[in-house]
Amino acid sequence: MDIKKQLKQTLINELNLEDLVPDDIDDGAPLFGDGLGLDSLDAVEIVVLVQRLYGVEIKDMDEGRRAFQSINALAEFITERRS
Amino acid sequence: MTHQRWTSRSIGSRLQHGTFYLLIRTLGRRPAYVLLFFVVLWYTLRPMTRARSAPYLARRFPKAGRLQRLRHCFLLNWNFGLTLVDRAASGILGQISITASQDDEQALKTLLGEGHGLILLTGHFGCWQTSSAGLDGVKTPVHVLMHRAPDDIDRQHFEHAGTDAPFRIIDPCGYLGGSIEMLDALAKGHILGIMGDRTFGNDRNTVSFPFLGGDVRLPFSAYRLASVTGAPILVFFSSRIGPGQARHEVARIIRVPRGLGRTRENYLPYARQFALALEEMVKANPYQFFNFYDMWEN
Repeated sequence: MDIKKQLKQTLINELNLEDLVPDDIDDGAPLFGDGLGLDSLDAVEIVVLVQRLYGVEIKDMDEGRRAFQSINALAEFITERRS
Repeated sequence: MTHQRWTSRSIGSRLQHGTFYLLIRTLGRRPAYVLLFFVVLWYTLRPMTRARSAPYLARRFPKAGRLQRLRHCFLLNWNFGLTLVDRAASGILGQISITASQDDEQALKTLLGEGHGLILLTGHFGCWQTSSAGLDGVKTPVHVLMHRAPDDIDRQHFEHAGTDAPFRIIDPCGYLGGSIEMLDALAKGHILGIMGDRTFGNDRNTVSFPFLGGDVRLPFSAYRLASVTGAPILVFFSSRIGPGQARHEVARIIRVPRGLGRTRENYLPYARQFALALEEMVKANPYQFFNFYDMWEN
């Protein structure tokens, strides 16, 4: 499974986005606010998930701002940090 | 729907604040108390000021008549003024005495020793504004979730002394509500201070609870953070016990299981513990609860 699909499935499972399937999530849509509709406390869960599943830390606001733009951005951030 | 009905802006003018600061600097704290008496009397007689404390006083003293309510209003404003004078005196003169029981101090150290960081949860009660001064001996960095209105002229105690803040401020208006910074602080084993009795922004991360006979909305961000990080929550309150004197009391230690997710109902038992602890404190110290807005939904 490619990392974007894996990320989407993880978000759906871990954040209980029960009405969604991975294909419903636009890779380029914002994760927070109007996009996927996640909020600031969901960000906390995602930071922990990314660390647990991929061993990648999102340490501060600057990194968060970059990684949380979209699924595309998060996948790119993880891939870059793991390489 | 938003639930932010409060403001952090002081009702006093810059001149009024400056007069008190000058008085404390030149003559000490006690003359400031004397001036405070007349200021509080004047504010208590103003209907607009009375309206701000009326929702709380009506809940706390439901059977009080008109005159009694006026007296309660004066005492509430008086005690609030005393904490503000004490806060300024602690910064200007370095005069503040904070005590805690040995058991409570040990509880703090033990929880910190668990290595998951520690969430200090308190409310707008007593001397909460100077409570960080009591953490000097802990030797662990402190972060505080705090928003200040851009036009707020009220000074924090450390600003009088011209020193850096003894804690790092995390602004809930920052990116993602400061959540990444809060997580980082706890991951490093630091202390994170959060006010548990005010909502900020929308009501998505809030739960409704009975409090003093009505329903209030309280945030559950602290409990969700605890669930994600494994950090214990220490509920404490800082009571004013005399001139320049405060006492820290641990009211509850709340342990939230990991993995409770985003369902708000999962956090009800833990948020309820805070609401009960706050209600106990308010019942025991009716003039030390300083939420001057209508918290109640019904």
